Amino acid sequence: MFTLVNGLTTGMAVFLVAAGLTLVFGIMRILNFAHGAFFMIGAYVASSLVGSAPRSVLALVAAAVVAALVVGVLGIVVQRFVLRRIQHVDEHYMLIATFAVMLVCVGFVKLVWGLEFLSVDPPPGIDTGVDIFGLFVPSFSLFIIGSGIVVFLVLDFVIHRAWAGKMITAIARDGWMAELLGINVPAGIMAAVGGSFALAGLAGGLLLPNQTLSPALGDTFLLLAFITVVIGGLGNVRGAFIAAILLGLIDGLNTMFLPAYPGVAVYVGMVAFLLMWPNGILGESRL
Amino acid sequence: MNRTISGALLAVLAAALVLLPFWANSGLVFLAGTTMVVAVFALSWNLLFGYAGLASFGSGGLFSIGAYTMAVTLRGGYEGQFLLLIALSTAIGGAVAFAIGVVALRRSTGIFLAILTLALAELLRITLAKIHWLGAEDGIPSIVRPKASIGVATVDLAQGNHYYWFLCVACALLVALCWWIAHGRFGRTLRTIRLDTERAAFMGVDTHRYRLVAFTISGAIAACAGSLFAPWAQIVTPDIGNMMRSTQPILFTLLGGASSFWGPMIGAFLFSAIEFSTRTLVGIQEIITGGILLGVVLLFPTGVAGAWNALVARLADPYRAEAKAKATTLRPVKE
Repeated sequence: MFTLVNGLTTGMAVFLVAAGLTLVFGIMRILNFAHGAFFMIGAYVASSLVGSAPRSVLALVAAAVVAALVVGVLGIVVQRFVLRRIQHVDEHYMLIATFAVMLVCVGFVKLVWGLEFLSVDPPPGIDTGVDIFGLFVPSFSLFIIGSGIVVFLVLDFVIHRAWAGKMITAIARDGWMAELLGINVPAGIMAAVGGSFALAGLAGGLLLPNQTLSPALGDTFLLLAFITVVIGGLGNVRGAFIAAILLGLIDGLNTMFLPAYPGVAVYVGMVAFLLMWPNGILGESRL
Repeated sequence: MNRTISGALLAVLAAALVLLPFWANSGLVFLAGTTMVVAVFALSWNLLFGYAGLASFGSGGLFSIGAYTMAVTLRGGYEGQFLLLIALSTAIGGAVAFAIGVVALRRSTGIFLAILTLALAELLRITLAKIHWLGAEDGIPSIVRPKASIGVATVDLAQGNHYYWFLCVACALLVALCWWIAHGRFGRTLRTIRLDTERAAFMGVDTHRYRLVAFTISGAIAACAGSLFAPWAQIVTPDIGNMMRSTQPILFTLLGGASSFWGPMIGAFLFSAIEFSTRTLVGIQEIITGGILLGVVLLFPTGVAGAWNALVARLADPYRAEAKAKATTLRPVKE
């Protein structure tokens, strides 16, 4: 039971990062190596706003939203100057260009925030635990699980039900036709990519407490997010959600049965998943 | 003309490398040795990418397999058979690459292979960090530089700069081997497969087998580079095969130019030079490196080697160069 909660927390944390990654892929067909770095910038921005001990849950969420805005704007800049120009070249060049963006971001973080490790405590209100059916659950875990579910529901609603999502889907499926129908394609893409990057910033802000901030923060989450996105099916938000839960549970079981080898089962599981479903559980999707 | 200039430049650079210990300090010599090893490593990666069109993101894992094999066998007291140990590391790397290739290449699509190899390399790194027999997180320190005996003559590589010159020779041989593979019948067949897999298969080429062999050779050479690196660095840690190591050859290759045989090596040396000259600037180093990479990808998609070839060709024959440049600029691969 404890494993379940722990696994879900890990899973939702990874989903928060993976959501933006899979969206960028869905819209632009670019697998963004720099996503982890933007997540990290979001975390640093939020930490500068709240300090090492945030006053309330609201302050943390507000800081996360500001971080999302900042990273979203950065994302639009990157899209304008880099992503747009590499969209139609060989995919290896995309990877290298986004890798270069990642390097620039890491350098930027080192310049602005330095090399020291920073840490942030959970704000009062979610810094203790709650008792659920005789089980002690840290309330910060519940906060992360809740955030993950809320973000997923909002995203799913926007993409599949709202007008904006349908427009973006149309652009992603056939940009030329969408343009012919009078949709402003460049503006749509820019908004969608900005939104995806904002998600990275939001994730950075929300996952801030109990995290050690260092310029290497992006790497750890990037790899897990990559795995989630690939297992779920590239560009597929629902797939990423399911994959994140699965990965979280696998990781939870790993810590329970093989505590000496943390993190091994995730990779083994991923290799197994990839060999069984090379296109992801729910298949690749253009949003 | 083009060939003469490039050849002369290559000879000058090679001579400078060999004579380096006579005028540079030991820090620079160490950097040069490391760069030679990673240049060969990058070359092995480009055999796969530039010739077979397969991008592996886990080559760091094979590098670390080679390095660990060498470290363990040297620690085990087999230093008398140094050359045999290199061969052993190479063979193990090739065998592992073959096993991965058998499973992975059946469904090789770009991103699928990239992520799969990335995950396998990361799995290896995590596992290595947990095995106490291999020193866990701390790795294996104080690796001895052994004696190498070729027939009658024996060279003590632990002395002075002997291991550096040994690296020069070994890397030159590996480069020659790669050149031979790339320019021979095998390399040409691989290029055919990369350019048009279906047509190659139609002409009777067993595309899967060729790719598998390329994957194996590339892995073997990567492990060989790793085995050369272990006594040079004198320490191996699990981080020797981390994600940065796996992306190293990719950076070098694209910086130097994937379509050119010498591209990865040019990239490796350029990258080292940039890193060396900006090493004291925390943060700015990454920005400069990233900025240069971005510039190269956006402005010179054929890499430094491509830009250089275009420049030389332009000097020699401006009219023809113009037409060729038009044919090689960045263009969409799909609709």
